[in-house]
Amino acid sequence: MVSSVKQRGTSSLDLWIRSARLFSGLFLSLFVLTHLANLALGLVSLEAIDAWRGILMAPWRSGAGSLILALAAFIHASIGLYTISKRRSLTLSRVDVVQIILGVLTPPLLITHVLTLRVTSLFVPEFDASYAVILSVYWSLAPAYAFQQLFVVMIVWVHAAIGFYSWIALRPVWPRIRNIVLPILFLVPILALLGFVEAGKEVLYRLENDAAWLDHIRAAQHLYSQAAPTLNAINTNVVASYWILVSIAFLSWAVRIYVGRSRPVRVFYEGDATATGRSGLSLLEISLTSGIPHAHICQGRGRCGTCRVDILRGGQNLTPPTDQEIKTLSQLHVTDTTRLACQARLLQGEVAIARILPAYADISAAQTPEEWEPKDSPSKIDDTLPAPVSSPLQEVTP
Amino acid sequence: MTLALLHRLSEQAHEIGASFGAAPQEWEAVRTAFSAAMMSGDGVRSFTYILLLMMIGAGLEWFYWTYSYASLRVLLNTEPSSPRQSLLFGLRRFWITGFGLLLFAVAAIGSTSAFVWPPGVHDMVVTLTLTLVMFRFIVIVADIVLSPGTPQLRLVPLPDRTAFTSMAAVALFAAVGSVAWFVPALITRIAGTPNLAQALRIGLGTLIAVALLLACLFTRRNREDVLAGRRRGLLPKFPRSLASATVITVVYALWLFGYSAAAVILGALAIVIAVQASLRSVVFYFWRDKILPEEPPHDGRESEEHHDSVQQDLAPSIILPAVRLFVALIGIGVCALAVDVPLTALATSESPLARFSFRLLGVAALALLANVAWITVRTTIDYRLSTIDKVDEHEQPGPGARLLTLLPILRTTAATVITVMLVLSGLWTLGLEITPLLAGAGVVGLAFGFGAQSLVQDVITGIFYLAEDTFRVGEYIESGTSTKGTVERLTLRTVALRHHNGPLHFVPYGTLGTVRNTSRDWVIEKFNLPLPIEVDSEKVRKLIKRVGEEMLNDAELGPLIQQPLKGKLYRVEPGIKIFRCNFRTAPGNQFTVRAAAYKRIEVAMNAAGITYAGNLPLTRTLDPAGP
Repeated sequence: MVSSVKQRGTSSLDLWIRSARLFSGLFLSLFVLTHLANLALGLVSLEAIDAWRGILMAPWRSGAGSLILALAAFIHASIGLYTISKRRSLTLSRVDVVQIILGVLTPPLLITHVLTLRVTSLFVPEFDASYAVILSVYWSLAPAYAFQQLFVVMIVWVHAAIGFYSWIALRPVWPRIRNIVLPILFLVPILALLGFVEAGKEVLYRLENDAAWLDHIRAAQHLYSQAAPTLNAINTNVVASYWILVSIAFLSWAVRIYVGRSRPVRVFYEGDATATGRSGLSLLEISLTSGIPHAHICQGRGRCGTCRVDILRGGQNLTPPTDQEIKTLSQLHVTDTTRLACQARLLQGEVAIARILPAYADISAAQTPEEWEPKDSPSKIDDTLPAPVSSPLQEVTP
Repeated sequence: MTLALLHRLSEQAHEIGASFGAAPQEWEAVRTAFSAAMMSGDGVRSFTYILLLMMIGAGLEWFYWTYSYASLRVLLNTEPSSPRQSLLFGLRRFWITGFGLLLFAVAAIGSTSAFVWPPGVHDMVVTLTLTLVMFRFIVIVADIVLSPGTPQLRLVPLPDRTAFTSMAAVALFAAVGSVAWFVPALITRIAGTPNLAQALRIGLGTLIAVALLLACLFTRRNREDVLAGRRRGLLPKFPRSLASATVITVVYALWLFGYSAAAVILGALAIVIAVQASLRSVVFYFWRDKILPEEPPHDGRESEEHHDSVQQDLAPSIILPAVRLFVALIGIGVCALAVDVPLTALATSESPLARFSFRLLGVAALALLANVAWITVRTTIDYRLSTIDKVDEHEQPGPGARLLTLLPILRTTAATVITVMLVLSGLWTLGLEITPLLAGAGVVGLAFGFGAQSLVQDVITGIFYLAEDTFRVGEYIESGTSTKGTVERLTLRTVALRHHNGPLHFVPYGTLGTVRNTSRDWVIEKFNLPLPIEVDSEKVRKLIKRVGEEMLNDAELGPLIQQPLKGKLYRVEPGIKIFRCNFRTAPGNQFTVRAAAYKRIEVAMNAAGITYAGNLPLTRTLDPAGP
């Protein structure tokens, strides 16, 4: 199998790009994890948070750490926008929609927090954004920021959890670590918010009763206000340019959809089903837009292999295999004519394919593919599995 | 009285107007108070708790889904083998998704108790969560029924596009409806601004009413269809959209002016009527694969054979009345709730109306049982009757012939018994004393019984004759009283026997006695051949056997013969050898075969040079047991 698919496709860049997005995302998630863990110490006491701040947050606050963090954020966001602009169709799963929305909303909501904590000290070196100061701002001085920050914490955590889960659930180690990782995924934000509340109670108490503490906070506030106009200007500029970039990305997506409409291509499935799609769409996208059931556990990222199909004829009309595709297929028992439907794009004409896995295949098809292997040959849907769809959907031609 | 009503209505309208007028200020007050409360430590804490709740609730539901999504995915991708299986799948989907929703609701609402909320916020959070749960529940049910994404599981016959638009419409209704259900009461409780709550309630209610009216407008039959129907000579159909629009308007008006109990009752009644009207087609929709398609009429056959599709499956005919009763009960329950009548105390209630309505329910249940019993009996009998071939006079009547007689009698009897029992039980349930009725019936029955002894004896004996398959229509019988003939007709009391000379004997079963049925199964015919004593017995025997085989192989005679002709030496008398021949045929064919046998034996004997015995023996007469 590997021999005929070995030629490197034009999309090894694609593989690198997606890996970069994944790993920068994981890096950022690690940062968020330590940050929230620090906040969760509020359940112990307010001092505990700031005491551990020096330990937990120090690597990220160092020069090198800050630089790598900023780089990771930049890489992740820009690759995210790039992949949006490269989309060719409106076939999005619900997970994709959620990730796009959450991802796009994060930077403008987060920028204030980042500026306050990191950039203020560039202008006003004495300003120390300790947890005590920031919590006072959130709980008493400007609660509107608290709402914004809580909201963005939820967005970021959900985005990170979804991205992390969809990557790690396909790895062989998942069944073993599942029962540890999943509770942690939920406990971290819950504990962080509870710590936030407890610390808040203490902050409010102190603001009422501790005069010295109140003075300290006031002083920090004064320092901040000196840098405030500059920070606001930076904020506005950054947000404006960000939204311009986002608009460009979405516009590019829209243009691709529109341009592709004029060149229809056809796919013939086993049985009588046919589907018509636009040139340049992947086989999976053509299936989904035409309402033909097609297994796709990893939502088209080329990692799980459940969308694999046998190409019966017309294989020359497809794009050459990507590196991701080669990698995934080499781990499965496949023939020369097997392709991943989510990676193989139909550029022109027609192609006849046979789906290998039934549409209701679940994640075990990716983790233990030998259980789902069709018995006779890879080009037939297994008769021993419950009947696949032979429904009135098959005569769809949109 | 009309004036008082009008006065009341205008007062109500004024009140509503006043509340709408006062609402904006109240809204402003609430808004500023709310913002002030939010922009504080308490507000931030509440918001954090809300986020925690969502995490806990959604987290638990998501955790549940990681286990159960696989089975849901299989369900969504399987083609159901029958409409009933798609209903079963729908129920399973409901169970799977509904349980997730339940987990979410319990987790979210339960964890609210773990937090210390600022005043009024707990109520607000719980109510809003309940609103969300109600909305999701309605959407889940609609998704299962309309199934926009999976057409093969759709429970209603709608095209795809309509399913999508209906789903969107239902989601919108659900959102507005859930808010209208919970939020005005919430506002009254925590904000203390009744005008705002009232304005919101009326505004949302009006919105829903207008949306429903628009839906009626969009789903009405258009002009072309109506005209086309008229041109084809069909009667104008019931104007459903108009009726629905009228009902919606009246219900809305009643609700608006404060008669909410009446509005609920009218609405429930309208819904029950609409459901009952369409229930038959709905229930049979789920058995549409079992109902045979109607055959085109053969030339000459009567059309009543396929006036109604023959139902092979009994289940929908039984389920339909059960569901009707169930719908009626729900309607009654809703009305009772609307007027605050405690359902459990209906039986012992003070008001005679309540007691009477409770008894009516009992009668309705009895009617349902009687209906079910009758439908079972009738459908089974009809089905059995339709599978029996009609009696062909030229062939031997089969066992179906007596069923043709018995089953209609059985049906009539069952109908009578069920009706009588229903009437008596119904009267008793309604509280009327039927003991005198029963006593009177008993006395009359006794008198009848004495007088009608022989009639009853005839009927019962007849039933046994028929049940034992003693004779069938078309058979020739002789009864012990030396009446004989072919059975022409079987009735409840008598059997009509047609003598072969023409007269028709009507014999009551009671006097039939022993029955000699000569048309059943087979007949053995024997006859003697007197031959001279010099003949070779073996040669004769073989000759007769050959004749028998020839007749068996003959095209016309062969099928009539069950056992071929054989003969053997029977008696030797001085000068004579008597050979006795026998064969077996179906009843009625023995005469043809015997004549043919005689003819052929004579031919064969002539060919072999044998003649019949010429002289009788001198001292003996013929054997009295001769031919």
